[in-house]
Amino acid sequence: MIAVAERTFGLLALVAMGVALFTAGVLLRGRVPGWLRDDVALPLATAIAATATGGSLLLSEVAGYLPCALCWYQRIAMYPLVLVVGIAAVRGDREVWRTAVPLSVVGGAISIWHILIEQNPGWGGPCDDAAPCTILWVEEFGFLTLPTMALIAFTAIGLLTFAARTR
Amino acid sequence: MATQTPNARAEARRAEKEAQRRAESKRQRLIYGGVGLVVLLIIVVVAVATVGETDDRLRLSDVAGSPQIEGDTLPPIPEGGEDPAIGMTAPVLDGADFDGNPITVGERAQVVSFVASWCPACDAELPEVVAWQEAGGPPEGVDLVLVSTNMDDSRNNWPPQEWMADAGYTGDVLVDDVNSSAFQTYGLQATPSWVVINDEGEVVFRASGMIDPAQFDQLGELAATG
Repeated sequence: MIAVAERTFGLLALVAMGVALFTAGVLLRGRVPGWLRDDVALPLATAIAATATGGSLLLSEVAGYLPCALCWYQRIAMYPLVLVVGIAAVRGDREVWRTAVPLSVVGGAISIWHILIEQNPGWGGPCDDAAPCTILWVEEFGFLTLPTMALIAFTAIGLLTFAARTR
Repeated sequence: MATQTPNARAEARRAEKEAQRRAESKRQRLIYGGVGLVVLLIIVVVAVATVGETDDRLRLSDVAGSPQIEGDTLPPIPEGGEDPAIGMTAPVLDGADFDGNPITVGERAQVVSFVASWCPACDAELPEVVAWQEAGGPPEGVDLVLVSTNMDDSRNNWPPQEWMADAGYTGDVLVDDVNSSAFQTYGLQATPSWVVINDEGEVVFRASGMIDPAQFDQLGELAATG
C-alpha cells in the first residue's frame, strides 16, 4: 500500500512538474490563458498543496518515515498554503500570490538545501538513526525524492498563484 | 404595469450577464475538477499496475543475526574532548556473517566499521572501503570487519548483503541483531562509526561519521601498534 502511495506521489509530482513548466512558459510569454487565470490556477495550487500536505502526513504517520529537521521546515512552509490558497480560491482572491509566493520561495529554498544534502551525504554528517536528513525514504524514477517532490510542489504553487494575479 | 428606466434595464442586463458568467465559471470549474479526478484515477491505476510485488522480499528477522556479547558497554562517544572508551576492553561480539560463518569482533587487532545499508553516508563511504581493501587494506595481523547494524527492511538498499555485494565488498561482516545490540554496546549513536581495536582487545580509537580515505591506513597502523 505504501509502495503504491509512493508511486502515486511520484506520478503526481511529474504532473505537477508539467504544470509548473507550462505555467512558467505562459508567464514568460506574458500570455496567461483566461481559463488558467480565472478557473484553474488557484484550485489547482490548492490541490497541489493539499496533496503535498496529505502525502507528508501519510508517509510520516502511516508509513512511519521520520521527518528530519529540514522536512519540518518544509512542512512549516507547505501546510499553511492549503488554507491560504484554498480560501483564496473560494473567495476568488487573486492577490494571494503576495503570501503564497514568499512561502513557496522559502519552502523551495529549504527543499534545494535538503536535496543538496541528499546528494552529498558527507555534508549531513553521520546518519543518526532517529531522522537523518540524508536518508532517501522515497526515490521514484531515480530522481524523485521527498524534497524533490516538495520543490516541484512549491514551484508549481508559486507559479500558479502568480499566474492567477490581477492583471 | 411597471416600467423600468434605461439605467435599471442596463443594471438588470449587467446582473444577468454576471450571473451567466458565474454559472459558466462554475460549470467550467466542475469540468476541470472532473478532468482532475479522472487524471488522479489514471495515476492511481498506473501506480498500482507498475509497483512490483514485494511480499517475497527478505524481512529484518530473516537477515538479523544474534551475536553473543561479552563485556561492559562502552560510554558514548563524546562531542568533544578525550574519548573515555580509549584503553577500555572492547566488548567481544561472537556472531556470524550473512551466510552463518562465525565472526568475532573484539578479541584481536581489528578495524571495525559499523554501517547501515540505508545510511547515505555509509553508502558513500563503502566504495572507499572497498578500494582500500582492494589496495591491500589494513596491515598483516589486522582484520577489517564491517558490522551490519541498524537494519531496517522498510528502507532503501535492503537487504544489506546485496548492498555490500553490489559495492564489491568481499571482506568479513558481522550481522547485528534486530535491536542493534552490538552497536549499542560499543556506545555508538550514528552510522558509519569506526572502532579500532588492538591485539590486546583494547579500544584505541572510535569515531562517528565518514573518515577521509587517506586516513584508512592510519587506522590499520593504529590497530597494529596501538
